[in-house]
Amino acid sequence: MRQDRNRQPVADWCVSPNAMRLNRLVRMSRRDALLGGLGFAVAGGLSGAHAQTVQPNASAGADQSGEVASFMAVSQRLTDRDTLDANIGTALYMGIVHANPDRKDKIQTLRALMDSSKAATAADLAHAAEKADPALKDVIHEILTGWYRGVADNKVVVYRSALMFDITKDAVYPKTYATGGPFYWTTKPPEVERPTGHPALSASPFVIEPT
Amino acid sequence: MSSDQTLSADVVIVGSGVAGSSIANELARAGISVIVLEAGPRVDRQHFVENFRNLENKPSYQGPFPAVPWARHPPNQQTPNEYLHTSGPNAEAYQQVYLRMMGGTTWHWAGCAWRYLPSDFELKTRYGQGRDWALKYEDLEPFYYQAEVMMGVCGPDPAKEDLGSPRKQPYPMDALPISYAAQQFRSLIQEKTPWRVVHEPQARNTRPYDSRPTCEGHNNCMPICPIGAMYNGSYSVYHAEAAGAKFIPNAVVYKIERDSANKRVTAVQYYDPDKNSHRVTGKYFVIAAHCIETAKLLLVSADDKSPNGVANSSGHVGRNMMDHTGVQVTFISGDKALWPGRGPLETNVIDNFRDGDWRSERGAYLVHMVDDNQVDLATQLAISKGYVGRDLEEQIRYLAAHTVRLFSHNEALPDPENRLTLSKTNKDILGIPHPDVYYKLPEYTVKSCEHTRGVFRQLIGLMHGTDEQWTPGYFPQDHPSGSTIMGTDPTDSVVDGFCRTHDHDNLFIASSSVFSTVGTGNITLTVAALALRVADTLKKELIHA
Repeated sequence: MRQDRNRQPVADWCVSPNAMRLNRLVRMSRRDALLGGLGFAVAGGLSGAHAQTVQPNASAGADQSGEVASFMAVSQRLTDRDTLDANIGTALYMGIVHANPDRKDKIQTLRALMDSSKAATAADLAHAAEKADPALKDVIHEILTGWYRGVADNKVVVYRSALMFDITKDAVYPKTYATGGPFYWTTKPPEVERPTGHPALSASPFVIEPT
Repeated sequence: MSSDQTLSADVVIVGSGVAGSSIANELARAGISVIVLEAGPRVDRQHFVENFRNLENKPSYQGPFPAVPWARHPPNQQTPNEYLHTSGPNAEAYQQVYLRMMGGTTWHWAGCAWRYLPSDFELKTRYGQGRDWALKYEDLEPFYYQAEVMMGVCGPDPAKEDLGSPRKQPYPMDALPISYAAQQFRSLIQEKTPWRVVHEPQARNTRPYDSRPTCEGHNNCMPICPIGAMYNGSYSVYHAEAAGAKFIPNAVVYKIERDSANKRVTAVQYYDPDKNSHRVTGKYFVIAAHCIETAKLLLVSADDKSPNGVANSSGHVGRNMMDHTGVQVTFISGDKALWPGRGPLETNVIDNFRDGDWRSERGAYLVHMVDDNQVDLATQLAISKGYVGRDLEEQIRYLAAHTVRLFSHNEALPDPENRLTLSKTNKDILGIPHPDVYYKLPEYTVKSCEHTRGVFRQLIGLMHGTDEQWTPGYFPQDHPSGSTIMGTDPTDSVVDGFCRTHDHDNLFIASSSVFSTVGTGNITLTVAALALRVADTLKKELIHA
């Protein structure tokens, strides 16, 4: 007969899901560090057992700032935005690279493609990237998921500040942050015209995460 | 481990959810001593709100509520599961979730506070299906109202919108004004179909009530209302404690003792998290530990006197498992922007399929148009379609404004073969077996779901919908019921019409586990009404004794 053995500390029920995952991550990263495996950025950024987000500057070494700069440049092009928050960007970058260490090189590839192809828009860059290497589509998805959903490495990096809420703030509030007062919901929200743009990447299966 | 102390009260209650805490409150206010034993910890709202905000998979209603190891609950709705092990042809359809903690599973409910229809209590007599309850709607009506006052239920004026369950008093609060999206849906149904959309009765404040604020529309009733505008069991816990009831958290009851004649319960025993055993004696005992845990406890308590489990001379403990099996579809409306997600989650219902002569052939159901913020889903969908940059942002706005989610509650029937048993292969850290459930959807429910799919396809057509995402198969609505079924015949039921076990004079059960049929409305108000009726019986017997 199998018996549950994982006796977590009593206080664990009250820590956040992110912190619980980070605790496991820290344990894993220590083991991996002993095996000589893990990257400097992630191991350095997760010093606190209850860290809610990765600290952007504490772990950013000199050679990493160039990587983050590339990530920011690629991100601005893929979002068609001139400005993006650098602190959020650093945290997203570290999450993305932690989940898949090869993303470090892939993001550099995207940066080089952006320059060589003279991609002026997100669509230009996405076209060029998928043509050059179909695997870059996944990297672009991760970058867009980071900025628009606020999620990297299956963890929440930002919630309210995710861009998906910035672009819908004239109509809806992020859940738990409504400020319209009782019955605001009875009023007419803005109309939205059918978009005229086209996908820049090939379609991927849409899988709803199981609950 | 041996008992280190003995506690005692007039009434000992196992479980602190809506049922247990509301009974405790009523009894304590009448001067009766009460001890409530809760397997899980004492918890607070703000931790759960923060947990939710940090949760990547926001639709996971269990996500913000991690279990403690001594009182595990299902971590998710996935099969196979780490705690609730389902099997059978429709194992996935019975992958229920619930919470074991102070206040119970209403930490994550949507506040839908339906009364059952009179016909729901007489399914056998009226339609030749399932069973009749051992009580009538009229027996429960005063307790429905008491439950509505306790929770603070808002609902429509019956003169304008009759929901089919006769009322002697109006709802305690006026109906919730529905969102723009729900208004559009309601108009469409009214103009283009023979059906109607009604205001859903909800345990949600449309004015300050019971020292709780008016709903501000955070759109997060599930998994956690951030401000307490929606009732949950914790409020009855607070009221009961203020009235003098004693609540003991982290007290995992594992044994129900009876006298030598096996007619009366004498004590229950519980483990604390370190597996020290404690004994609690009383005059009356109420098991109010949720449908699944209640049946599990009765079975775990088997001994020489009751080899099949306590209160189980009929053999029906753990049988007749029911739920509101659901059909669900999400699609993109081709009409004007709706922007769902402004206001509470569930406010409006198509109620035309709750009752009719066809119930002799197929199960009843109701349809929710879920008013859920769809921005996250829209973002994931737009990225998967291949959009980037400005085009992506336009898509997110369009999809978030036009996504529609429909789901149904389809009626099950009590089938003794659908059965909860104790796991032979999995135990928790205290050595208590996990629950196993075998489930095969009744044909009655399958036919009902087929009918629902037809209605949903019509609605998708009316809204010029595209991008249909049907949730595969059948999914659980987390309304488990039937595991200690009510009836007049002690040979085929566990409790009588007053929720008293046939076998033990002073043992009551307050839970959806006593339901003889499951109707269509969310089960919580009926659970509360039955519990308040148990409290009424106990008060009469204890005060007049």
